Amino acid sequence: MNVSEKKLWAAWSRFLTGMVGAILIGFLVPILVVVAVSFQSKSYLSFPPTDFSLRWYQQFIGNDDYRSAILNSMMIGAMAAALATVAGISTALAVVRAGVPGSTIVSALSVAPAILPQIVLAIGLFPISVWLGLQGTLWAVILAHAVIGLPFPFITVCGALASYSNRIEIASMTLGANSFQTFRLITLPMIRPAVIAGFIFAFAASLDELVLALFLSSPSTRTLPLLLWEQLNFQVTPEIAAAASVILAATSLLILAATLLPRLGKDN
Amino acid sequence: MLQMPSRSATGQNRAAGGATVSIRNLCKRYNNFEAVVPTSVEIDSGDFFAIIGPSGSGKSTLLGMIAGYIDPTEGQIVVDGRDIVPEPIYRRNIGMVFQNYALFPHLSVAQNVAYPLKIRGVVKDEIARRVRESLAMVRLEAFASRKPSELSGGQQQRIALARASIYHPSILLMDEPLGALDKNLRDEMQEEIKRFQQELGATVIYVTHDQQEAAFLADRIAIMRDGAMTQIGSPRALYEQPNSRFVAEFLGEASIFPVKSASGKQAGQPCRIVLEDGTQAIIRTDEDAGPGRFACIRPERVTVGPKARDLDNSYAGTVRESLYTPGSIRYRIELNGTGSTLKVRVLPQGNTEVFETGSAVDIGWSADDMTILRE
Ligand SMILES: Nc1ncnc2c1ncn2[C@@H]1O[C@H](COP(=O)(O)OP(=O)(O)OP(=O)(O)O)[C@@H](O)[C@H]1O
Ligand SMILES: [Mg+2]
Repeated sequence: MNVSEKKLWAAWSRFLTGMVGAILIGFLVPILVVVAVSFQSKSYLSFPPTDFSLRWYQQFIGNDDYRSAILNSMMIGAMAAALATVAGISTALAVVRAGVPGSTIVSALSVAPAILPQIVLAIGLFPISVWLGLQGTLWAVILAHAVIGLPFPFITVCGALASYSNRIEIASMTLGANSFQTFRLITLPMIRPAVIAGFIFAFAASLDELVLALFLSSPSTRTLPLLLWEQLNFQVTPEIAAAASVILAATSLLILAATLLPRLGKDN
Repeated sequence: MLQMPSRSATGQNRAAGGATVSIRNLCKRYNNFEAVVPTSVEIDSGDFFAIIGPSGSGKSTLLGMIAGYIDPTEGQIVVDGRDIVPEPIYRRNIGMVFQNYALFPHLSVAQNVAYPLKIRGVVKDEIARRVRESLAMVRLEAFASRKPSELSGGQQQRIALARASIYHPSILLMDEPLGALDKNLRDEMQEEIKRFQQELGATVIYVTHDQQEAAFLADRIAIMRDGAMTQIGSPRALYEQPNSRFVAEFLGEASIFPVKSASGKQAGQPCRIVLEDGTQAIIRTDEDAGPGRFACIRPERVTVGPKARDLDNSYAGTVRESLYTPGSIRYRIELNGTGSTLKVRVLPQGNTEVFETGSAVDIGWSADDMTILRE
């Protein structure tokens, strides 16, 4: 590499660093604003905050609507993530290990929900859910969220399976273990970190999903993002900022867990 | 005669533990490519059977079909009288050691070795006892609680061996088990594998790239080429009576020359041949020595120095390369006026003369030492 090329690269990397910094700032500022306005006592969104108070958090905790929405969100998230994880493991095994015919199509379909506009999914799933008689039940949202959660465990498990040779599983079978025993005793422990991470991401994806919930839920199955959305249409109070901050904290914790838990699993 | 008792003792031991394996017209085709052409071979109970051959010749494919993770296109694998092809891998009760060991990275050494017993529902106390015994047999008792990643290559190899044999399989397959180890460790492990097999009594089918390893370990060796076993025999038979140029070159060193013409051939009688380079030689062989055949001479059968003048074939030569290696002297010697060179190996005695590069020497061999080969 000659001198002028080096200069070009240096300029390019400064530019990239600057871009990344700008993106992070553009991303972080609104988050910080939401958190800041949730910790003050005024009954409208005032920025910058002039005092500190937990008033809106107290109101948030005391609110039955929020309580049931959080419960719904948790239940839907856990069920949807569980379904997505089971489906993700199965399709990943089929694609990476069994090499089923058309495996590229299967993987494209499995990651599609992460890329397709959710409004398209919602419009498509609504008549299906009516047809199946699930409309308005928790199951409608659970199944829809399982679909949008699928790409995460699918991708993480594919990566884990591709990282070691199927020799290990063949060895297990020559030693007398059938496919099921091999999966339970060898494959599953080896992909466990990826399974945990995939589950958590799918759970997080469900937790802050709005569009599908909007189409598929009823007042009794209202999720937390949906409740926030309804409240926003009605009036904007710092209570919403408090609720949004709680979602934010929960999601951040989950992402932290998704990065840390698998590593802990690996060490012991 | 002194060896007889010990031989029959191992013979009895073998009959107890090993299965007979009879491979009948076994073949594997991928689309139109024959990885293994229809192959038949009988392997006796307790035999140590080695398969050697160049890369891609179908060795691993053959082993995979026996183990059960590659489906044969056609043919049978008859073990103790029963065809095992329809049986799934996990019911074949065959032990297999892979080149990269395929130990379970998330389990400890003891758990790895215990795995086949756990699968078979053996009770805990007995598992513990047998794992201890098995680890003792490969001298790794002290490493029971380690993870495979905390072991050296040779130690991992021994664990793989212990794991594949703890359930007393009557057949043990090994696919280049020492391929990843360095030379010294390989030699050491060869001894260990041999001792191990004698204790276990299993029938072993052993794939390797290394012809010396095969010769050291095996009762019989099969040489594979393009999916076919081109020759099967004891190490000695393969070395001394190779049936083709390929086998002669693959197993040991040889100087090989195309034959131009032959005259007066008669089974068992000396006959005179002319090589492509014009050299004349007397040979005594049952093989047809006409054009298209090759004359082969092993390096240790060539005599260098004054004694060469008394032999059936004797020439004037020039040393082109002279190399002293521990235990032997190696030369490349040109036959004057032909441009052809011969590989020569001399085992030095106290008074053996070492010829320098460039020296003029007499070189020769007896009619019995030159063999005739097909392509
Ligand atoms: N799944 C497959 N599809 C097509 N061809 C295959 C497949 N598996 C193996 N082959 C081919 O079959 C031939 C034999 O392969 P095999 O692995 O048995 O060789 P090998 O003798 O074990 O070689 P090496 O010494 O390199 O291990 C090779 O030419 C290989 O390319
Ligand atoms: Mg191979």
